[in-house]
Amino acid sequence: MTLAKALAYFLREALQNLGRSWRVSLLAVATIAVSLFVGGAFLLASGNFGGLVEHWRQERKVVVYLEPGAAPEAAEALRAELEGLPFVRAAQLVSAGEARSRFLQLFPSLESLVDQPGSVGLPASVELSLRPAGSGGREPPAGWAAQLEARPGVDLVDDDRDWVSQLTAVLAVGRALGLCLGLVLLAGAVFTIASVVRLTAYLYSDEIAIMRLVGATEFFIRGPFYAEGLLQGLFGGLLATGALAAAFELAKARVASTLWGSMLLGRFLSPLELAGLVAFGTLAGLAGAVISLRRERLGAAEEG
Amino acid sequence: MIRFFNVSKAYPGGQLALSDVSFQVPRGQFAFLTGPSGAGKTTLLKLIFREEAPSQGQVLVNGRNVSSLPPSKIPYLRRTIGVVFQDFRLIPRKTILENVSFLPRVLGMEREEQKRLAHGALSSVGLGSRLGAFPLELSGGEQQRVAIARALIHQPELLIADEPTGNLDPELSREILRLFLEINQRGTTVLLATHDRDMIRHVGGRVLTLEGGRLAGDDSLEGSVSMLWPKAPAQAEPTEEPEADGQEPAGDGA
Repeated sequence: MTLAKALAYFLREALQNLGRSWRVSLLAVATIAVSLFVGGAFLLASGNFGGLVEHWRQERKVVVYLEPGAAPEAAEALRAELEGLPFVRAAQLVSAGEARSRFLQLFPSLESLVDQPGSVGLPASVELSLRPAGSGGREPPAGWAAQLEARPGVDLVDDDRDWVSQLTAVLAVGRALGLCLGLVLLAGAVFTIASVVRLTAYLYSDEIAIMRLVGATEFFIRGPFYAEGLLQGLFGGLLATGALAAAFELAKARVASTLWGSMLLGRFLSPLELAGLVAFGTLAGLAGAVISLRRERLGAAEEG
Repeated sequence: MIRFFNVSKAYPGGQLALSDVSFQVPRGQFAFLTGPSGAGKTTLLKLIFREEAPSQGQVLVNGRNVSSLPPSKIPYLRRTIGVVFQDFRLIPRKTILENVSFLPRVLGMEREEQKRLAHGALSSVGLGSRLGAFPLELSGGEQQRVAIARALIHQPELLIADEPTGNLDPELSREILRLFLEINQRGTTVLLATHDRDMIRHVGGRVLTLEGGRLAGDDSLEGSVSMLWPKAPAQAEPTEEPEADGQEPAGDGA
């Protein structure tokens, strides 16, 4: 029998088996779909969040807040000095007025807060964009920000890199947790598929014994069961990706305007990631079938 | 066709099923294998189609030492042997055509070729008109005929049967036995295990007797096949082919 014919036979038999025991097959498909959905959701969230963190990391912004009432000449002199540093790509002076305009643009409802009597208003600042990391000896020296903060006329130095590093650590922990949860769920799905395939093999043990009797090879006998596990994994993967897409669109419509929504729902999984998810489910299904039949000599004839 | 050389078989736990059994069945012979229940008949047959491997000794089938056959080669051995069981071993949810065309399908033959071979095999056992029937719609005798057709579809040189009439009434048993003899007359070596001594006495021929796992007898009995063809005895005489004088085996009975 040619390989193509054998594969066609395996798929035909596997589809028949799935149809005959559709309830347990559905359970297996649903189990793997849930595990892949959870894994995919973690992938989606961590991907978006990670992208955001990476964007922040690439921006490498440091904001030097000046003391209230700083003279514009002194501020400009500081800006020029900082722009001359080798690790600084650009330095922009933001006056108190510009700071107020920006604030009101972002938070128009908080106008009363900055305009209330007695308020000192927003300080002027110098926004520094650092050169990209890894561009050859361009990292600020250690303690640079603290030294800068100690200079007369400087109120505060806000270095983005500190909290970006913290976010990176949080992201790594989140990814590890997602991976663990996904793996646990996937192991459950593999176990379910293995049980379903074993059950099918048991139901057809008489038929398998006859196949063996007339000279069917192990490949021919086991093929349909492997195909069954593979199809269950494939269907589970497709179901999971479909559910992910639907959930993504739904969530985006509802929470995209929120801070977390914009952070976690920036973009959907790429076609490659989706294909990987489906392929992972398919392989998990196949693994379940292989595991379930690994130690068994299917349908050996009974002693008469 | 079949040669056993000092064959012993012990199952796990030490139960000895066969002990130092030696015999041979020449090509084209019809031989009975008899003995009481538990004598080792089924084990002996299983050694032939390599369902079991001997603990000691060698089993040769058609010149091939099946004792040392690697597992991957066993299916190819079985494709040269037809096997029939007492309980028919048909698949209830498949039609008899599908049951019989199992091997051609395993071999990857085209659907039309599968059907043609299955139809031919079923016709040879008188069931050519019931291709679409399911096993449970048939009588016991008809089911056994289907099992025989399945065993014959690849025209094996050797047909072995384990109590093929055990579940059938006397009339159906005669019908099935007649079929085996006709198959033998066409040149197929037949080894038929039965504990029905009356049947053997009537038919005669080569008789291997097992008792307690040992070969207790290897005889050639006189018989009369007329009891198998009571209505048309003339048809029973395979005079055109002297070597296929089924009831008096062509072989020497050694």
